[in-house]
Amino acid sequence: MGSLDDLTPGKRTEGLLGHKGQVIKACVVLTAKLFFADPQWIIPSIIAPFIFTLVAFFLFGGQAASGSFLLYLVLGSGLMGMWGTTIYGSSNSIGFDRWNGTMEATLAAPIPLSWIALGRVLFNTFEGVINALFILAIGLVWFQVGFSLVSPGLFLLASVSTFLSLSAFGLLMCTVILLSRKGGFITNSMEIPVYIATGTMFPVSILPLAALPFAFLLAPTWGIEAIRLSALPGYVGLVTNYWTDMAILAVETVAYLALAFVLFKRVEAYAKRNGTLEEY
Amino acid sequence: MKSTDSSGAVLSANSRLRMAYRVFKGAFFFGRKGLIIWDSWEMWVMQIVITPIAQIGFFAFLSIYLNYPSSVTQYIVIGNAIQSMSFSAVFAVANITSQDKWQGTLPSTMVTPANRVALFIGRAWFQVLLSALIAAAGLVYAAGLFGVSFASADFAGVAVVVLLTSVAMISFGLLISAVGLYMRTALIVANIFLFVTLLLSGVNFPVSALPGWLQPVSWTIPLTYGTEAIRMAIAGSSLSALLPVLGEEALDGLIVMAIGYFLFTGFESLSRKTGRFEEY
Repeated sequence: MGSLDDLTPGKRTEGLLGHKGQVIKACVVLTAKLFFADPQWIIPSIIAPFIFTLVAFFLFGGQAASGSFLLYLVLGSGLMGMWGTTIYGSSNSIGFDRWNGTMEATLAAPIPLSWIALGRVLFNTFEGVINALFILAIGLVWFQVGFSLVSPGLFLLASVSTFLSLSAFGLLMCTVILLSRKGGFITNSMEIPVYIATGTMFPVSILPLAALPFAFLLAPTWGIEAIRLSALPGYVGLVTNYWTDMAILAVETVAYLALAFVLFKRVEAYAKRNGTLEEY
Repeated sequence: MKSTDSSGAVLSANSRLRMAYRVFKGAFFFGRKGLIIWDSWEMWVMQIVITPIAQIGFFAFLSIYLNYPSSVTQYIVIGNAIQSMSFSAVFAVANITSQDKWQGTLPSTMVTPANRVALFIGRAWFQVLLSALIAAAGLVYAAGLFGVSFASADFAGVAVVVLLTSVAMISFGLLISAVGLYMRTALIVANIFLFVTLLLSGVNFPVSALPGWLQPVSWTIPLTYGTEAIRMAIAGSSLSALLPVLGEEALDGLIVMAIGYFLFTGFESLSRKTGRFEEY
């Protein structure tokens, strides 16, 4: 098969975005259309974080009267919401191809699957942002949390960086799901452990020592730390400061992306060579 | 509609009972394979090992973070151990009718002259065993990983509570499954009820801590009685002392099952009239 450069130049293969950019854009748009055509599917990924937050609210009891405690909870639940949507979205972005019988057509497209998956995962994580904002809004209204941030600029930077890190992690998950039909197993198994390991509702410092390396390898752990440092007055988290958290977050995000692209190349080649995309 | 044999003769009560038993047995054995990919070892690991430990761990760590005494943490651990059966008892059972829709087997199921009670309950019966197994595993983790003492426990009482709660929660799953017959999918409602028991059933804090208007709702859920009974059994209450609460749980389970059955037959009748088994 010739490269994309052999194609006659036209509207679809030119422009500021380039081939890969256009593929990402098209996949973002298509995923968005599919989502808005049936937005009820955001509910399953909202429910767990929302209920977990409500339970935490009851458990916090009198301490919940403190505004910073409530904001701590609400920010954590926002991250839980983003994570839930990312992990289920990653699973479904490949899983739906299998169920709908479009896997072969998708893989036969003249572009590496990683770019198609990246577009889908980007929107899925953005859906997580909608989810997080929804949970935040409920938290703010229901619990009457004051939303005065220590540094709105740094808060925004940390939130966007966490969003990107989750997308990168979602892309990494796609490679595993591409190879296996056990997407449901992987996503269901990872949802709550990641809530624990990233310190969504309590600091990771209370976890057993054996769990800490896993927690530190997860970029959202650093993301939520940076978010809380920039949002909560007097917040004391890990020994690191805001910029150290952001640096680790950036390094881990780049590592996820690099690993995802390498794995995608290998897994895609393996799947095509063995013809086991839908047959097991 | 009267049941008849191949010659058109009306069947006796005994024959009808025997046929219902055959339907129940067939629904139990074949339903087991058809529901979800139970034969996959990963699904077993997820349901029996990962999810219960992660869920118990999440709320136990939250309690530790809030500096609650170990008695409170143990209260939370026991509640979550028994609640961990919900994935199987509520989520999997609730999706029975949706699975039929996705797999295109709903019209065939609806046109069989099989006894509806036997069919309805038989297909869910495997989940009773699985739910009991998951709850038992949750209690083992409670003792082995989270330090819950079973020194005074009445093990006969614990076993009866686990089994009865599994049966009663299946009735709750069947009620949602019946609603799923009418809806496009029960998945979203199932997701809501999978987690809502964490909030309403005295799993993490007493029902009395909920707002007054919500407390009657809690007592319509069989698990609320189950969590109360399991804590009593672990604390050493004898089976006879558990009888009142077990009686209430059994009665609640029966009422929920009856409502589910009437909803199922009502929606079945509506589907037959409108011909909209799978069309929306």
